[in-house]
Amino acid sequence: MKISAQQYALSLYQLVEGKPENEVKKILKNFVVFLNKNLDFNKVNEITNSFVKIWNFEHGELSAELVSAREFGPTAKEIVIDYLKEKSGAKKVLLNEIEDKDILGGFILKYDNKIVDGSLKNSLEELKIKIEA
Amino acid sequence: MSSTKDFIIEQLKEEISGFKSEVSEKSVGRVLKVSDGIALVSGLSEAMMSEILKFKTEKGDITGVALNLEENLVGAIILGDFTAIKEGDEVQATKRILEVPVGEAVIGRVLNPLGEPLDGKGKVETNKFYPVEKIAPGVITRASVKEPVQTGIKAIDAMIPIGRGQRELIIGDRQLGKTALAIDTIINQKGQNMKCVYVAIGQKESKIANIVSKLTENGAMEYTTVVLAGASNSASLLYIAPYAGCAMAEYFLDKGEDVLIIYDDLSKHAVSYREISLLLRRPPGREAYPGDVFYLHSRLLERACKLNKEYGGGSITALPIIETQAGDLSAYIPTNVISITDGQIFLEPDLFYKGNRPAVNAGLSVSRVGSSAQIKAMKKVAGKMRLEAAQYRELAAFAQFGSDLDEDTKKKLERGKRLYEIFKQDQYMPLSVAKQVIIYYSLINGFLDDVPVEKTREFESALYKYADLNDGVLKLIEEKKELDEEIENKIKQLVNDCKATVDYLIK
Repeated sequence: MKISAQQYALSLYQLVEGKPENEVKKILKNFVVFLNKNLDFNKVNEITNSFVKIWNFEHGELSAELVSAREFGPTAKEIVIDYLKEKSGAKKVLLNEIEDKDILGGFILKYDNKIVDGSLKNSLEELKIKIEA
Repeated sequence: MSSTKDFIIEQLKEEISGFKSEVSEKSVGRVLKVSDGIALVSGLSEAMMSEILKFKTEKGDITGVALNLEENLVGAIILGDFTAIKEGDEVQATKRILEVPVGEAVIGRVLNPLGEPLDGKGKVETNKFYPVEKIAPGVITRASVKEPVQTGIKAIDAMIPIGRGQRELIIGDRQLGKTALAIDTIINQKGQNMKCVYVAIGQKESKIANIVSKLTENGAMEYTTVVLAGASNSASLLYIAPYAGCAMAEYFLDKGEDVLIIYDDLSKHAVSYREISLLLRRPPGREAYPGDVFYLHSRLLERACKLNKEYGGGSITALPIIETQAGDLSAYIPTNVISITDGQIFLEPDLFYKGNRPAVNAGLSVSRVGSSAQIKAMKKVAGKMRLEAAQYRELAAFAQFGSDLDEDTKKKLERGKRLYEIFKQDQYMPLSVAKQVIIYYSLINGFLDDVPVEKTREFESALYKYADLNDGVLKLIEEKKELDEEIENKIKQLVNDCKATVDYLIK
């Protein structure tokens, strides 16, 4: 039977959960041998992606990306984090901030498979479509 | 002058201040894989079945439709240039089911299955949209078929009558005139209070250009919409084309109007669905078609209906076309569609090459509901004529073996020959029901027995010309829709008068 990337990731998570570092190293070594045996090395990327998702879910963590034209102040950041906590039910939010002058103003927030596009660039594009229509 | 300028600026300001860019959460995903018009997308956890997806590419947005909702993936068909989509491109869900523009504005247009113009006449000016997929009307809303669709084709209107709201399959090998039958039917709908939709699925675009020009020439584009998914379009467009055409027809149905829709042809539609299904890795079944290929056509053809008065009384008559391979009626798709429809018109190569065109096989063709829709006059002549045709077929096969035939048999054979002559009809020459009644009445009453077989068609056209000049009879039949003594006498008179003008009668 073929083992899916998700199944690999889940078993890996269950193996390493709560184990000390030296044991984890041993487990990983065995895991790689097992992957090799099953000729499943090409699934590594998918497995790591799934693993991160499972880890975040189990630990109540949420990684999000915040793109803004200028850096957010602490209060604004607090509001974003509260919003994310409320929406996703996560306990901890890992916010990755990116500055991008191209979006002109506002922000774009990406988390899970959701996107909140409040950028000035997007609004202008929407206005353009509306005027053209 | 200045006031207009101010006015414009004022309006523009108002527009812009009134414009609220709404910031809302959107569900997004990423393209994992693209192949032959199919994309596998990760994420999109809230995607709905047949929801429109927007692929954000460097060349602008490309539309797709979600078709497979799996645990971690969404399988989508791409309704555009799939070569522009790259792995990792963002995909947005729109929370809208696939829909097409509908309304009066689509009439006279050639559109693609998304409702975009292909005829260079600009955008379709309408603000109404109908979903492409819709559940067919239920039992409560329906009425039985009782009004006729006049196809204008003698063999069909008499022997295989079609009613408004019926589904009649046109089936036969390639190049036997299946499309020609459908186009003649559209041309004959002029002044019959009927809107027409012609859906071309996987047809050559040159053929469609030809058809459109013929329809325009005959004034039929005034009530016709052509939905074209050509042979060069992707399988996804071919797949949605009949549903899109049906949605356009449903707009008129909801207004209480009658619509005729032609699907040309459903075998190519099934092939395109097979392609999509296999690419989406759905398990193949018989002839590699997926398991739900029956549902593919049944849900489409079930949308053809006759609604009762309370629901507007409109109707959709469907004429699906199926192309068989070497006359094989028992292949998968032909048997499916035969069982879904209310009858079929079977075109036969032997008849076609003998010169009997349209090559309708009267024995294998049936219409299960249409006879109740015939006008009384036609019913009266057609019943007898069908018997005449059946007897001729039987006797003709029998008479091949012997030459000694009694007088009665000879007579029947002679009349049958004339009947088959009358069934012959040129393309783009549909005939009004009144004229059909006259010619059939003349035949079954033996008025044509003294016209030589090879001159039958000549006499027939002379008779029509004569009837046109004395339009009293034609009008009477069309108004009364019945054959009373007065009309019968007038027809007799007409035939006798016409006979007096020709010199080739058998003495």
